[in-house]
Amino acid sequence: MTMSEDRDLVARAVSAEDTAAFGELIRRHQSQVRNFLRKLAGDHTLADDLAQDCFMHAWDKLHTYSGRGSFIGWLLKVAYTTFLQSKRKSKRYAQILESVGHMADQQQRAHAAFAGEVTDLDKFLAVLSAEERAIMVMSYACGLSHREIGDATDLPVGTVKSMIFRAKEKIRNSFDIKDHQHG
Amino acid sequence: MISKIINMVERIKDAEDRFLESMFVSEPLMDDGFSINIVRKLNRRLWLRRLTLPIAVSIGGAVAFKPLVGLVTTLANFASLLPQNLVSTATESIPQLQIIVLGAVLLAVCLLGMQTLEE
Repeated sequence: MTMSEDRDLVARAVSAEDTAAFGELIRRHQSQVRNFLRKLAGDHTLADDLAQDCFMHAWDKLHTYSGRGSFIGWLLKVAYTTFLQSKRKSKRYAQILESVGHMADQQQRAHAAFAGEVTDLDKFLAVLSAEERAIMVMSYACGLSHREIGDATDLPVGTVKSMIFRAKEKIRNSFDIKDHQHG
Repeated sequence: MISKIINMVERIKDAEDRFLESMFVSEPLMDDGFSINIVRKLNRRLWLRRLTLPIAVSIGGAVAFKPLVGLVTTLANFASLLPQNLVSTATESIPQLQIIVLGAVLLAVCLLGMQTLEE
């Protein structure tokens, strides 16, 4: 899976509206995008729906990919934007629900569903803000460079570095990582 | 050179980084029809988009046909009411009127064609 192959596929998809070429791009990157969204959203079904939306948005915006950075970096930017948009929408939805008194019941159900399947990673991610979570996942799960993360989140590289540093510190303070490291 | 050094510095990982990487690592997810579903959706959307313009033109044409015929008939009646010398003066003052009108229509058609091709 090389970057030049990705660029060729993008060129084919854009110039001839070749959905088969775009399908190949989806097959190559769906796992990373879905895993990224699963870690951000914490809900597999919601994450897969968001991943679908993300690829649909990516198709619409494909002509804006300049080929400068990696395609996966660009794709994760689209995924992150899709996630933030859905979060804003669900916040508005929650406000409406709250105004009609359904919120407490919904929260109870969400907590009950979540309590059974909390992993160590979920605990780590829970102490981070949404932005820190996204940056940590891009860095440690997707292997993006600081510059690529900066491009994806529209943040300067320096800010990305300091946010990673702060997130690590939060995790370190909340959990005893040294115990994990030495077995 | 500087960017190479920055990349090297980024790649130097301590035990904490390696631990975090091992925590964040996840199994690759099987496609299981995920990509086919999206491609199918996209194909459906492309077909809809391609069909929308001709269908809209046909419906618009059908709706506009009767009023358009009425308008042309009214204009023709109105033109016959104009004094003959006024019509001949207009034709004399702009002798190439027919060619100008034809040129304008061709230009409009070309512009529309170009826009369609560009899209």
